Amino acid sequence: MRCKKWLSAIGISSLLLTTILTGCGNEEKSNSGKTEIVLSGWGGNPTEQKLLNEVLADFEKEHPHIDVKLNTISDQYMDVLKTRLIGGTAADVFYLDAFEAPALIETGAVEPLNKYVKEDFDLEDFEKPMLDAFKDGEELYGLPKDYSTLALFYNKKMFKEAGITEPPKTWEEMEDVAKKLTDHEKQVYGLGMLPQIERMYYMAESLGGEVITDGRATFADDKVVDAIQPVVDMQVKDKTAASPSEVGAGQSAGEMFGRGNAAMVMEGNWNIPFLEDTFPDLDYGTAELPTVNGEKRTMSFTVGYAMNAESEHKKESWELIQYLTGKEGMKKWTSKGFALPTRKSVAAELGYDQDELRGPLVSGAEYATVWQDGPTLPIVMNNFNNQFLSAYLGDRPLKEALKDAEKQANREIKVTE
Amino acid sequence: MFSKKERREAGQGYLFLLPALLVLGVFVIAPILYAVFLSFHKVELIGGASYEFRGLDNFMKVTFDDRAIIALKNTAIYVAIVVPTQTFLALVLASSLNAGLKGQKFFRIVYFLPTLTSSAVLTLIFMWMYNQNGLINYVLKFLNLPTYNWIGDPDVALIAIMIMNIWATAPFFMVIYLAALQDIPDSHYEAAELDGAGPIQKFLHITVPNLRPVTSFVVIMGLIGTFQLFDQSYIFSGGSGGPNNSTLTVVLLIYQYAFKTLGTMGYATAIAFMLAIIILVATLLQRKFSKEESLY
Repeated sequence: MRCKKWLSAIGISSLLLTTILTGCGNEEKSNSGKTEIVLSGWGGNPTEQKLLNEVLADFEKEHPHIDVKLNTISDQYMDVLKTRLIGGTAADVFYLDAFEAPALIETGAVEPLNKYVKEDFDLEDFEKPMLDAFKDGEELYGLPKDYSTLALFYNKKMFKEAGITEPPKTWEEMEDVAKKLTDHEKQVYGLGMLPQIERMYYMAESLGGEVITDGRATFADDKVVDAIQPVVDMQVKDKTAASPSEVGAGQSAGEMFGRGNAAMVMEGNWNIPFLEDTFPDLDYGTAELPTVNGEKRTMSFTVGYAMNAESEHKKESWELIQYLTGKEGMKKWTSKGFALPTRKSVAAELGYDQDELRGPLVSGAEYATVWQDGPTLPIVMNNFNNQFLSAYLGDRPLKEALKDAEKQANREIKVTE
Repeated sequence: MFSKKERREAGQGYLFLLPALLVLGVFVIAPILYAVFLSFHKVELIGGASYEFRGLDNFMKVTFDDRAIIALKNTAIYVAIVVPTQTFLALVLASSLNAGLKGQKFFRIVYFLPTLTSSAVLTLIFMWMYNQNGLINYVLKFLNLPTYNWIGDPDVALIAIMIMNIWATAPFFMVIYLAALQDIPDSHYEAAELDGAGPIQKFLHITVPNLRPVTSFVVIMGLIGTFQLFDQSYIFSGGSGGPNNSTLTVVLLIYQYAFKTLGTMGYATAIAFMLAIIILVATLLQRKFSKEESLY
């Protein structure tokens, strides 16, 4: 009798335990002797997604022993990726934004690639700034899959109505043009601009100042403040510029432009398919960004493929990266114009430098400032943007706001050490 | 000490408790202990976890972290305004529904509706309404009142979240009040009426004192909920706590340190502990001053 009681007690406990444990279990099955590797990225628009699937299918055809599983992380990409890296469940190959790359490389979670790269892969063919964005010293940690620079998008109809024949060449010209194009009653501004450092970093350093020096924020330096003062002046003094949220376009300058609330915006390649989809009737053109102090400058944003240092299939992962960033894979990936190729030979082959809309973007590549400046950049960006906004809204002088932001950023950097 | 039989019975008891103890141990107690451990270390979890003992460093850092102080200030303002307002509003709504008006069942449903919406959806809906060309500005303009850039203006962003949250949580507490109101014996009101008390006197001297234990509950739950404000300000500001740190709350800051910047997990847990202590103290103070036990 007593024995029975014990038995039932053990029985019930183990039953409950197994239910709990099976809930946590995670079984993986490999199918038919193929090596499965996982590729993680963020979702693009449906057409872009389809294109990527096609490229991956081509790869699988050429490498029959590898099965690529695409895993799309649709929101908060970096947070999810970091959590998975901690948990040991991250993909073998993943997208890595150059901006976040240095901090992640520092942790040792990204596999160094030098030992994989062979001569015939032709590293020289890549646009150098984009490649350097994924380097730590001489070691390469990622290969840029594509990039975009900023160019000036202008509304041709508005330009015509205001009697302006060609896009402004210099920043001063743009200020004048913006005055003619602004119509407060119709809620039309000359320039639509996001008040964020990622859009004006190239200006910030145009007078010789540094936003970050040795990992510390130094953007309250007069050289930096003077360099970006024109951005604030257009908004506060001339009232010829506005941010998208002021006209109800959220965080999208492209939307502000498409809806006709801005006659000019400085946007990247992503804006072209967006405008085609959302505002197909819009008549617009692109030009290289207006020069600052007589110098051609722009921003460039790049994303690379990186390999998980804890991947169990490094050889196969490299084969995938090699294919995706190789001449053939990149040509296919960039053929529809969603992204610009980081290989010069592919860009020449596809003729994007001759393209009416994409030409100015491609010409920007050689003089662009890459959006990457060491592991402390995310903190610096956050603090800069927070305080810059108060200056942009005219609440206080730019110098004062940036001084506060610099102090705050450096304290925060100290906190993380 | 114990007889054999007693020990066996105790053993059996623990055996039956085992599944629950295991679940609690693994999913509740262990994470708390791990968090305590983390808060004294500098932690880098990515790329092979590394821990470096730092003593009380993480706790001391708060004193020179401006954003922590801003977050604390924002949260304090938020709590100080939202908790009394939503408690008062809940009480007023509940009394009005309890007054025996026509169609009160209908209004009970209508008032309760906001609570049913998930806070993420709610925030998105409000963000559309708060939009520069959104519903709220449209109404304000129609009434010739000043309009605001609710989402982009640092001065009003936190207020916008307050309004949203009060609107969403007050009905929940209203239901609790309503249940309590229906528990107050009618004889109290009849006696008061015989003594010549008016409706306001009845409300102040019978309803409010009788509801004291419930009010205490509502305020404590409100305190805990508002101190932990995260999702609304997260969605509202896209995770940044902007514009200009105006919607940065303590929990949002913890999230940023834990997941956004690398190597600050220990600091994040230290802040989380401090927040837990603040909530504990606030709750104890509330209990001390409300004297809920001394009602009858």
